[in-house]
Amino acid sequence: MTASALIETAALLGLFVLAGGGYGSLYSVGRLWARPALIRAGSVCWIAAFALALTIALRTPLDIGWKLLILASALVYAVIPPLIWRYLERLHHEQEIRR
Amino acid sequence: MDIEDPSFWRAGAISTTLVMLVVLAFLSIDSMRVISVGGANVPQYDVINHQIGYTYNWSRRADVPVIGGPEPLFGKTVTAAEATALMRTGKLVIQSRACMDCHTIFGNGAYYGPDLTKSWLDPAWQQIWMPMTGKATREDAMVEFLMHPDKYPTWTRAMPNLQLTQDEARATVAYLKWLSSVDTNGFPANFGQSGKQP
Amino acid sequence: MYRSQKLSLRYYTAAVALFGVMIVFGLLSALYYLYPSLLFNVFNFNMSKILHIDTLVIWLLMGFLGAVYWYLPKELGREVEGMWLAELMFWVFCAAVVVVAAVFVFVQYGAANEFSMWFINQGRKYVEAPRWAAIGIVVVMLVFAYNVIATCIKARKMTGIMWVLVLDLIPLLAVYLDAFPAVTNMSVDLYWWWWLVHMWVESTWEVLIGCVMALVLMDVMGTSRRIVETWLYIEVMLVLGAGILGLGHHYFWIGTPQYWLSIGGFFSALEPLPLLGMVVHAIYDAGTHRMKTNNQPAFWWITAEAFGNFIGAGIWGFMMTLPQINLFSHGTQWTVSHGHFAFYGAYVCGVIAVLYVAKQQVSGADVLGGRAWKWGFGLLNFGMVGMVMGLLLAGMAQAFYGRAMGGSTLMAFTTASENPWFVSGMYARMLFGVVFAAGYVVLVYDLLTSPRRVPALQAQPEPA
Ligand code: HEM
Ligand code: HEM
Ligand SMILES: [Fe+2]
Repeated sequence: MTASALIETAALLGLFVLAGGGYGSLYSVGRLWARPALIRAGSVCWIAAFALALTIALRTPLDIGWKLLILASALVYAVIPPLIWRYLERLHHEQEIRR
Repeated sequence: MDIEDPSFWRAGAISTTLVMLVVLAFLSIDSMRVISVGGANVPQYDVINHQIGYTYNWSRRADVPVIGGPEPLFGKTVTAAEATALMRTGKLVIQSRACMDCHTIFGNGAYYGPDLTKSWLDPAWQQIWMPMTGKATREDAMVEFLMHPDKYPTWTRAMPNLQLTQDEARATVAYLKWLSSVDTNGFPANFGQSGKQP
Repeated sequence: MYRSQKLSLRYYTAAVALFGVMIVFGLLSALYYLYPSLLFNVFNFNMSKILHIDTLVIWLLMGFLGAVYWYLPKELGREVEGMWLAELMFWVFCAAVVVVAAVFVFVQYGAANEFSMWFINQGRKYVEAPRWAAIGIVVVMLVFAYNVIATCIKARKMTGIMWVLVLDLIPLLAVYLDAFPAVTNMSVDLYWWWWLVHMWVESTWEVLIGCVMALVLMDVMGTSRRIVETWLYIEVMLVLGAGILGLGHHYFWIGTPQYWLSIGGFFSALEPLPLLGMVVHAIYDAGTHRMKTNNQPAFWWITAEAFGNFIGAGIWGFMMTLPQINLFSHGTQWTVSHGHFAFYGAYVCGVIAVLYVAKQQVSGADVLGGRAWKWGFGLLNFGMVGMVMGLLLAGMAQAFYGRAMGGSTLMAFTTASENPWFVSGMYARMLFGVVFAAGYVVLVYDLLTSPRRVPALQAQPEPA
């Protein structure tokens, strides 16, 4: 890997996780305050994360295995926030009923 | 299967952890085989009787150490037992002086001084320290430097004098030579190949 | 208040004091990069770094011990068993820390023999303390484990959180035994050393702070035990599922077989995922937080913990965890950047949150607020973010000029270290380090004085 590819790739990897985190946070805050606009902003973040994953796959000298792993984890990032949110709601809701 | 039931997740946590630990145990057993002295990646201590190089291996896609012909350290071929004793002292020097709280070895430690993984192979010994110390060989220059590093600074960050005895310094040089023979999967990359990138 | 909670307050006090010592030596260590001739041959960089990182480990451990001693009697509904031993151990612990620190300052190092290992300096990063002191720590931790287990037995009660805690203490202690050997073969030495370092920060401590956070959530927010425990199990599953084999990201370059490149890269790429889950969880909980209004500092520090853990460990870790990147970033200021951010996000923020929870309960204040904590919160976070940004810049310059271009020799190292990017990064780190230190001062001030109008404060037990 060349020196400049090194810095570019590392930056893309960092931004990728950052975008995933931005999506998770905006989505959750959007749900919490019932603000669809925030949830939409979250989706934009995820699209950014996916675009970053694609950029990593197409434009960096990482080995193919890592590229596939990053593309796959972009999909996992997509489902984690809604899945966990719904799960937490179910858990708390069930708790209310039990009381 | 009730995902709201804590016991479901408790079972998940226990089984995941156990599976991972078992896998780790097997990998560790195998790794110990490879990294014990004389294993596939870590040469015997008496490798210090030989020349050691570091070159790019195209099939491994990494730099690998190359053990060459005889090149006894301090001009004296040592037995396996003598080599082991030297290494023991060398390692204790490295620990007792807390070298790795300024330097790294295999990239682990502190970052105030340069990495020592391939220090034995560093061109600076020939280019800077042999002339500076007036010694005729790399190992003698190393001993002189390690005993009086504060006398031979190369730049603003100088190495302090850690009161190494001659024996300690020689053992440390032996240790550094052996270290450079360990196969580290190509770390550090392009050593001494400034500007050339694969 | 239970006797064990009084002990807990002592541990907190000692922890906060050592946090201060740690910052002093952090600033000093940073200063050498700007003034290399500082204290040359008198008190060198390595001793300063040792005191910085060893106090880090000790004060966080003390914070955890404090948190457990605080919640144990509440959780089990009875006084902790064997308190006199626990109290004795606190003083043993403090005395050992003082003696070791004095030896590090005045003796520093010894000859290459076993005596030095036993009584002066073992020179293995994070566990430099000589063996006698390491034995002391083992004894302290054994007594701690005895306190926890014996109390569970006496109370004839074992909650889910307690099970996790007790089971977690076993590996936590077991890997610490690695603080003793002086293996000649560096590859083998580092192999086990990483069990200690990685298994602490990315597995056992992560679980421990998970338990503590679970107790805090139940205590302060009244979240039901069932929910808290379910979440704890999920967290343990994900953290250990990725973290145990994530150990592989330290086995790329120490002589270990090539398969670690794939295993380490793969599992550490999974590590940010549970951290993202924790962020979502923190935000969900924020919606139901009573704490948001009555203990603002604790609320914000818990929130900072979730985000800090994700950013410092998740983002900063992932950026350089793939072997192709790590080959160049490994062992540069880049590592330091990640180390600071992750430790701060995952553990420092958590311990500070616990301090504020205890503060409120001790003072009996209904509301903990005011202005000072905000300054502390702001300065500490701002200082830390500034420091890690400076370090990242410096580390990238090292990876670029020193490693990828220069080829890692002494010349390459010095050239990279004189590069303007590197130098600016070091100045930025120093500057923001001072900001961080200012934040610490405000934090201590706030912990000592708030809440101002509550007279119960005077009754707070002083560490005698
Ligand atoms: C004023 C604040 C601080 C300053 C100026 C500072 C400075 C430093 C310096 C100069 C080093 C040595 C790095 C090297 O070898 O080049 C270091 C290492 C370290 N510090 Fe700090 N530090 C500060 C606060 C903290 C805090 C709050 C934490 C924990 C949350 C921390 C954790 C660490 C760790 C884990 C290391 C070892 C990192 C490694 O070697 O990779 N430091 N620090
Ligand atoms: C709470 C969580 C974490 C903490 C406290 C933490 C702390 C640290 C520290 C202190 C170091 C430096 C160790 C040394 O050389 O002395 C380190 C190294 C490292 N960490 Fe983490 N870490 C955490 C999570 C993670 C995660 C989630 C990842 C990956 C995604 C990661 C990847 C790495 C890597 C690759 C290194 C080696 C850096 C190098 O090559 O020099 N860490 N970590
Ligand atoms: Fe790790």
